Amino acid sequence: MPLESWQEQLRRGSLDLAILATVASGPRYGLAIIQHLEAFTDLVVTEGTIYPILGRLAKEGLLASAWVEGEAPHPRKYYRLTRPGARRLAEMTQQWRVFAGKIDRLIAASEENRRGAQ
Amino acid sequence: MLSSSGESRVRGYLYVLERSLVLALPREIAADAVREIESHLRERIAAVDAAGDERVALEQILSELGPPLRVAQAYSAERIVDEAVVTGRVVPILRAMWHVAVTSVGGFFAALALTVGYAIGIAFLIVGVMKPVFPDNVGFFMEGGYPVALGMKFPATGHPAGGNWVILIGLFFGLGALVVTHRGARRFLGWWRGRRAVIGAGLR
Repeated sequence: MPLESWQEQLRRGSLDLAILATVASGPRYGLAIIQHLEAFTDLVVTEGTIYPILGRLAKEGLLASAWVEGEAPHPRKYYRLTRPGARRLAEMTQQWRVFAGKIDRLIAASEENRRGAQ
Repeated sequence: MLSSSGESRVRGYLYVLERSLVLALPREIAADAVREIESHLRERIAAVDAAGDERVALEQILSELGPPLRVAQAYSAERIVDEAVVTGRVVPILRAMWHVAVTSVGGFFAALALTVGYAIGIAFLIVGVMKPVFPDNVGFFMEGGYPVALGMKFPATGHPAGGNWVILIGLFFGLGALVVTHRGARRFLGWWRGRRAVIGAGLR
């Protein structure tokens, strides 16, 4: 498997988690979510296609959305984490940490074995 | 504040996006999506340095947003395929398969294979259901003592073999083919949705 495909698969499952984590600290509108993702992750996002994912998460009940007018010259659609969304985020975060911890230990053991063999 | 040509460019982008979205989404959802994309554009445009070249800045913004057809495709893929995978209902599955077939080459061939599967299932079912109605027209047709076809012939050209077993065979293989094909379609769409999540998100 080419490295790029592997990287894509690695990122595939993490995008929902990244979006939920982005709005966990408080409501954000689409562009603010994109900018936050770009600032804290190496997920390169084609901006226009993040909105359908936000729509899907809202449809699944993990996010709630509301239009806010008067805050800027144009209306902004804010997304906030719902209670089921917060639960999902906690579960995903725990799973992520357990998974990453196991892989880290596996790699550390492999490197130690390699050093011992040399 | 955009010049009139800049404003036309933005309006043109939003028009193409809206026309593409209404093909796949309910009108009110498409309108909300266009409003959100317009909000994004206005936000980005407002942050542009007024002293810079407006045309270059606007093209950069639109390029980072993605072509309107691609954005529309991501919206429709998320909604149509998601509904099909989550509910597993026949109509959403068929609609999603149609969407996949017209948007990718692999999807076209998968849809073709699934269409054959559904057609085989329906054909067996028709044979099973029609046997009691037209007992002399439906069944196995023999040549040299071997069955060469299962189906219907009008007008009847002899007595077809199989008797009432044809009903059981038709219903069993018909329902079996439909269930297997439907599960296959759902699994394929699930896989396709996962793949689209990467491509649709523009991960490079």
